[in-house]
Amino acid sequence: MRRIWIAAAALLLGGCGIAESGVSDEGPAPTGVAPGTTLYFVDGDGELRATLRDTGRLGTIGEAMALLLWGPGDSGLDTGIAVVSSSKVEVTVGEQEIELRVPLSAEEVSPLGVDQIVCTALAAHVQSGGSPEATVRIHFTLGEPGSDAPRTCPLIG
Amino acid sequence: MRRRLPLRGLRARLIVAFALVTMLGAGAASWASAESASEALVESDQRRLTEAFAERIAAVAPTLSYPPDQATLDRLRAAVGADASVVFEDLRSADGEDTGLVTDELRRAVRERERLVAQRITADGRPLLLIGAPVMITEPDGTRRPSGIEVYAVRDLGEVEAQIDDLAASAIGTAALALPLAAVVALLAAGSVLRPVRKLRDTARRLADGDLDARSAPLGADELAQLTVTVNEMAESLQGSMSAMRRMQADAKRFAADVSHELRTPLTTLTAVAEVLEDAAERMEDDAAESARLAVTEIHRLVRLVEDLMEVSRFDSGTVRPRLEDVDAVEAVRDALRARGWLGRVELSGPAGIALRADRRRLDVVVANLVGNALRHGGPPVRVRLAASDSQVRIEVADRGPGLPDHVLPHVFERFYKADDARARTPGSGLGLAIALENARLHGGDITAENTEGGGARFMLRLPRNPEES
Repeated sequence: MRRIWIAAAALLLGGCGIAESGVSDEGPAPTGVAPGTTLYFVDGDGELRATLRDTGRLGTIGEAMALLLWGPGDSGLDTGIAVVSSSKVEVTVGEQEIELRVPLSAEEVSPLGVDQIVCTALAAHVQSGGSPEATVRIHFTLGEPGSDAPRTCPLIG
Repeated sequence: MRRRLPLRGLRARLIVAFALVTMLGAGAASWASAESASEALVESDQRRLTEAFAERIAAVAPTLSYPPDQATLDRLRAAVGADASVVFEDLRSADGEDTGLVTDELRRAVRERERLVAQRITADGRPLLLIGAPVMITEPDGTRRPSGIEVYAVRDLGEVEAQIDDLAASAIGTAALALPLAAVVALLAAGSVLRPVRKLRDTARRLADGDLDARSAPLGADELAQLTVTVNEMAESLQGSMSAMRRMQADAKRFAADVSHELRTPLTTLTAVAEVLEDAAERMEDDAAESARLAVTEIHRLVRLVEDLMEVSRFDSGTVRPRLEDVDAVEAVRDALRARGWLGRVELSGPAGIALRADRRRLDVVVANLVGNALRHGGPPVRVRLAASDSQVRIEVADRGPGLPDHVLPHVFERFYKADDARARTPGSGLGLAIALENARLHGGDITAENTEGGGARFMLRLPRNPEES
């Protein structure tokens, strides 16, 4: 009889409070640090190539876009994007889609230039913890038919 | 070791057992639900805290310079919130006392698993959640490697614990609520179990009191019903053997009565023959005369035996009624002694004028039997003493003989009981004391036998002064 009482008391007391636990897994670790921003330009062979712009930090997609529109500088690389006075790009990051409003018309960007924009945006998105499956939709100031279709980067994903 | 519980009654034990089981059941059920609820609470709280932790790091990470300096670590630590610490190689930024509580186990897991991890601990009685994560560097192609930055935070779970305590309290409350309900149900259940038991007990008591017709109807088909059936069967067989015994007893008594009645007629003839034989014996030769006298003695004895038997039969049949009249006790005893010529051999004492209502003939029979026995078997002097109280007359017959052997004493009033075989030839029928006792009882009185201290037997006849009153 006494044993039953002890068991019942232990059972009731065990129900109170929060039990200690071992180390439990709570998901993927946060990410987002990087020594610089990855930008995509075109090399001498006309191929898309990733370069690291030494900014000391990863930065946002908008910042990466600004650096991209600024041009390759004296790195010996080329760009398929026309030089514009404004480098301000409006970025909207959705669940599976990144929308960019660039201060360019579709005419001012070559097909490689479009890839440059898509890859740079996607790289910044992935490096800051975003999904590699995300697509990029570019809205030009003056579009062409199909110019705002969802796109993916040929070098990523 | 085992204590004697004060709960001896079946009802009390049933109720206590029932209430205990119910309490235990309700307690277990509410405990289980409280337990799972509290587990869910803790889980969701833990998830909320770790997600917020990871989100805050992820939000600030792209703006952090890499490799980080002390200022960068401070910024990250501030973004994570209070009680956090950030480590990078030799650099360290910490805030709050609790950051020292982070366990080595958690640090090792952060390094080895390269994932967001958490651990619940209790420090100074406070429930705490430790969260740790490395900050990763992700390449554009999705591959990840640790940056060397580790972030730890300590979060208080006291609020959740308070909620869980509330849950436990309500669980106990629910179990307590079940108690009165259980008691009521137990009371009803106990009643339904105990009612047939009580009925059975009443039946058994009636049987014990002699009412062999008592039965109780079995209800249902449980063990109690089986017990009831068994008790009924027992009563049935008891009743059967009792009535068989009574029938046999009645048969035996009737047989004795019939036999003695049938013997009377030939005995009357035989008595007449005996008288003739007695007269003739004087003219016979010595041997023949001796035989004739012996035959006459035995005939007289036979007559007395048959008369006693018939008297006993009348008592057995319950048809005897005393013819009560006013009697002076001492005179009645003296008359009985005088009639048998015993006055000279017996010392009679007692106050004159003891009024008594009794059957004179039967009183005579009793006195004659007691005194006759004393004269025959006891030693002189034989004393008869009378005494009276308001309600009772005592007639004591005592002798100074050897007294009655101890093994005989309890049986002296039994029919045909012979103290020893040597006495088989005494002239008594063996029914004298039995008839005397029956006569005393007929008056509502009694006779007891005992040995006196000075030796000798003493028979005490007690008669109520008026049997019709008592």
